[in-house]
Amino acid sequence: MPSDIILQPATLLTLSLCGYVGGAVAGLLFARHAKLANLLSFSAAALSGVSGLFAALVFLASAAAPLRQIELVPPLNPFVQFTARLDALGAFFLAIVSLIGFGLSVYSLGYAKGFLGRKNIGVLGAFFNMLLLATTLVFLADNAFFFLITWEIMALTAYCLVSFEHERDETRKAGVLYFVMSHIGTGCLILGFLLLFQTSGSYGFDTFHSIGGQMSASRRNAAFLLFLVGFGTKAGIVPLHIWLPAAHPVAPSNVSALMSGVLIKTGIYGMTRTFFEFLGTPPNWWGVTVLTIGTISAVLGVLYALMEHDLKRLLAYHSIENIGIILMGLGAALMFLHTGHGLLASLALIAGLYHTINHAAFKALLFLGAGAVLHTTHTRNMEEMGGLAKRMPTTSFFFLIGAVAISALPPLNGFVSEWLTYQSLLQGFGTTESLIRLMFPLGGAMLALTSALAAACFVKAFGITFLAQPRSHHARQAHEAAPTMLIGQAILTAACVFLGLFPTVFLKLFDPLTEQLIGQQISSQLTVVNGLVLSGIAPNGGTVSTLGISLIALCLVPLPLVLWLLFARGSKTRIGATWDCGLKSLTPQMEYTATGFSKPIRMIFKTLFRPRREVQREYDFSPHFARTIRFEAHVEEIFETRIYRPMRIGILRLSRRIRALQAGSIQAYLIYIFVTLLLLLLFAL
Amino acid sequence: MTAPVELGSQLITLMAALMLVVQLFMVVQQMLLTNIRLFAIQSLFLAGIATVIGYAHHATHVYVLAVLTLLGKVLLLPRLLTRLVRRINIIQEIEPLLNAPTSMLLCGGLTLLGYLVARPFTSLERLGNNTLAIAMTLVLTGFFLMFNRRKAITQVLALLTVENGVMLAAVALTTYGMPLVVELGIFFDVMVAVMISGILVYRIRESFASMDTSKLTQLKG
Amino acid sequence: MSLPGILLQTLLLLLLAPLVSGCIKNWKAKLQNRRGPRVWQPYFDILKFLRKDMIISEHASRVFSFAPHVVFLTSLLAGLMVPMVTTQAPLSLFGGMLAVIGLLALGRFFLALGGLDPGSAFGGMGSSREMSLSAIAEPALVLAIFTVAITAGSTDLSRVVAATHGPTLKLLNPAHLMAFAALFIVLLAETGRIPVDNPATHLELTMIHEAMLLEYSGRHLAFMEWGASIKQLVLMTLLVNVFFPIGIATDSSLAALAVSLSAYVLKLLLLSAIIVLVETTNAKLRLFRVPDLLSAAFVLATLALLSTFLFQ
Repeated sequence: MPSDIILQPATLLTLSLCGYVGGAVAGLLFARHAKLANLLSFSAAALSGVSGLFAALVFLASAAAPLRQIELVPPLNPFVQFTARLDALGAFFLAIVSLIGFGLSVYSLGYAKGFLGRKNIGVLGAFFNMLLLATTLVFLADNAFFFLITWEIMALTAYCLVSFEHERDETRKAGVLYFVMSHIGTGCLILGFLLLFQTSGSYGFDTFHSIGGQMSASRRNAAFLLFLVGFGTKAGIVPLHIWLPAAHPVAPSNVSALMSGVLIKTGIYGMTRTFFEFLGTPPNWWGVTVLTIGTISAVLGVLYALMEHDLKRLLAYHSIENIGIILMGLGAALMFLHTGHGLLASLALIAGLYHTINHAAFKALLFLGAGAVLHTTHTRNMEEMGGLAKRMPTTSFFFLIGAVAISALPPLNGFVSEWLTYQSLLQGFGTTESLIRLMFPLGGAMLALTSALAAACFVKAFGITFLAQPRSHHARQAHEAAPTMLIGQAILTAACVFLGLFPTVFLKLFDPLTEQLIGQQISSQLTVVNGLVLSGIAPNGGTVSTLGISLIALCLVPLPLVLWLLFARGSKTRIGATWDCGLKSLTPQMEYTATGFSKPIRMIFKTLFRPRREVQREYDFSPHFARTIRFEAHVEEIFETRIYRPMRIGILRLSRRIRALQAGSIQAYLIYIFVTLLLLLLFAL
Repeated sequence: MTAPVELGSQLITLMAALMLVVQLFMVVQQMLLTNIRLFAIQSLFLAGIATVIGYAHHATHVYVLAVLTLLGKVLLLPRLLTRLVRRINIIQEIEPLLNAPTSMLLCGGLTLLGYLVARPFTSLERLGNNTLAIAMTLVLTGFFLMFNRRKAITQVLALLTVENGVMLAAVALTTYGMPLVVELGIFFDVMVAVMISGILVYRIRESFASMDTSKLTQLKG
Repeated sequence: MSLPGILLQTLLLLLLAPLVSGCIKNWKAKLQNRRGPRVWQPYFDILKFLRKDMIISEHASRVFSFAPHVVFLTSLLAGLMVPMVTTQAPLSLFGGMLAVIGLLALGRFFLALGGLDPGSAFGGMGSSREMSLSAIAEPALVLAIFTVAITAGSTDLSRVVAATHGPTLKLLNPAHLMAFAALFIVLLAETGRIPVDNPATHLELTMIHEAMLLEYSGRHLAFMEWGASIKQLVLMTLLVNVFFPIGIATDSSLAALAVSLSAYVLKLLLLSAIIVLVETTNAKLRLFRVPDLLSAAFVLATLALLSTFLFQ
């Protein structure tokens, strides 16, 4: 029957891949007809996203056996096979990229029009499609060679998109930084896969399965560290994060959303794939390392985010924070695998991966909101915004939903995944007798700090950007975004709400995944009361139901109404000036600023930030009447100044030394080649 | 375990824990006089522990120790130190080298260390044995207090808390092991040390118009 | 979960919360040799506010009017998850300690947004301080709660209360005592009590919570105030019932409920008395000294955690 064939994951997946290719080609073909190119390439991407999403969902829901390998290109030689395969882990990440890709593509239909006449939209659409295609293939690749090739294509297209507005100096710098860091990561990955190849003798992922058991301990550890650094660079863990807050903000907003929402998740995908599937039962220190890195990334990410008043940089720093939270889940899972607690390991893994999809949804949503704001105010500086809630009510509503979700507040999705993380950490305390177990509650405390700081940060981000009076001319002139942009945001908002209210439904989709990686299916143990209420592992775990909370809240809503009817029916409501303790004529200059808002945090954590401030006053005659006052405050980027700058200086110095080799005479070069040849021959003896 | 022993054991752990809490308050507390009072409270708990142990084991010499602690460290020494502080007119704040949150976190780490060191010797068999970890922590944080503060008198106070830790260990671990004479010896040793340093503090203050011991570096030629 | 249970607890939360606030205010005045407002004054205040006209700032958006309802409802919801008179909280199935913390945080989130919305600098200052201080209070809160949860084996509050309510006397357990002390400090910070914030002042340099309410009037203010006092009651209930569940009813027989209710009110009044003592004997800390206090709470919670296995 045709409907059966169409609903097969393989068919849907092929459709989706073809759609991306078609979108890219269309974008390039019609590059001269901007509007047509815009329409064709982004609708192709949107449709591909839908079909990819269905492919993943159908696959996960039917819990089918992994799809057979699809040969995309005939093999070049026995080692290099371009094979793709859909399995549960890949399908989960396919769902993420497709969902986010769908929302972003719809948004882009309206957003890209902002570049009309300035930039080539066809090229933007083509690269956008290619990036989605490459990312999808990263999750499908079944061969290390193919994986690395798609990985590189992904990095390169992302580079091209980051440098899309290359006229600006800032953009070019960020692009190069991204390029360099990304290649350091890829270098580590190549070495890591070579180590695995040495034992398996093949590059196929199927031969890597649990290969760690056959490797010597030192090789296994080396592979772990290489993968941690390689994938960690892409994911943006501290201290390898410095490219992230530079590169994400300068890209066009739809691309920023894609990078923060999906691209950095390829790092998480790689870690899950290698740590849980390839490297075998982990020693204890792996989990401890990942958990520690996760905790540090989470806390530092949110602290630096608080110091930002560039809206998109703030969001970029929050990506580091959320990657940290995801890694806390993964690290805990590794620790439980070590002690042989498969059930808890599954719980922690689910917590981490659930946060992965949640973060993709709300971070993409927030970037889209920021993009809409940027689109109309032409600035990323929050200090020049304000009052946008009245001028762009729908966007501000969506942004508020995203802010509540990312601050891990009930009943939205951020709360659910952090709740699962808390549960796994709490129950982890009982898994071991050693002092290592202290890491679990302390990690939980740091997670609490992180989410509370995130809430503070998003009160700032939302409050300063959208509330009160506009602080600049542009903000006063702001208008609501185009309908397609709003629809794109609505899609992601709906995703946040559904992921938050119906976690028990989505948990079932994790069963094939944990079955594949850990060998346990635990969704039935994570729900009680006919699968309506979420539970830490029953019977001891706590229970929570975001749906129940929302329903009871709805039932309580009449209460204020009744009180109003009983007592306040006669009272009137007037619109008046802000009282402000009796001060008259409140101006936007008197409002609280983003910098002012985060001052207490800056002071509390001053050992970390090392804040510096400069006040310059100019007087006419009396020190009490200053003519102008200039205030400047800086926060030190400790990783930039303490690690990367010395390293850069060192490398430059070293390369200056090495430059002595470049003599300029042909003879010298011939001698180098000859000596190298001799050495190689000697080595071969 | 029978009910009174159970109760006694709970009382002892509780008081030991409170000694630790008081110690941590001393770490963050910036007022000198309050610090002295906190020390008195800590010593009171020590006396309490000694009493419970003495009662449980019917050991007279532990009673003696309790009474001596009560008289010496709860009443006499604090009064002496308070008088000293009043006489040289310094009630101002202590200026620690590290700020409060950092030193708190450090002390948390020291507690962990104390626990690790004491674990091999800890057993629930004998009453109060499980307070060894606290005793170790008191000694460690006492040392930390000593070098975290500048003024001579606060260093004396820190020394006294170290001594409290030693005394707790002696009471808790070696009810029968350590003879009364040794305990008395330690006790009077510290007593005399405090007296002498009290006079010394007065002298330092006289000659330097300050109690900052870091100024003693000026003495070298 | 039963309908009468939910209704009764909602009523109890609504009616008891202003009384506790009133008692604290009254006793504080007595202790300072003032006559002070009557114990019932908060009820009259709320009624008055409900009847009054409202002025809404011209700069404010819809968030401003939305916030009081969120604050009010989240406090109530959180209250329904805490066991008050029976060990079984009405909504314990829908969420335990983590949900309580989350709901209170949601209320605070909107409270802070409401402070920023009218564009007054005072509101912004209040929001900034509130969010910063609560952020550093959070780790201590969670760690203390983790400690209790670890000894009980669950984050489900009903289960925790049932565990501490066991036959053995847990009062002397140092872990519990230190966790209690840590939570008490957090309580002072979260409810804006004296070493952290001064609930009686409208002096712009010192206030935190009041600064965010400056622009509110009429029934919005009533909901804000009521919500704040319910939140205070919820946190106090958490403290007294988790750590001292003496007399709490384990079944729903009428006699047990009566005993439990009177024990509960007594415990609440006792805790209020302690708060009053702390408030009158301490001076308000400088804003940047508050982190010292909260880090003390954090270390206390860490010690509590340590001592769960320190004394084994």
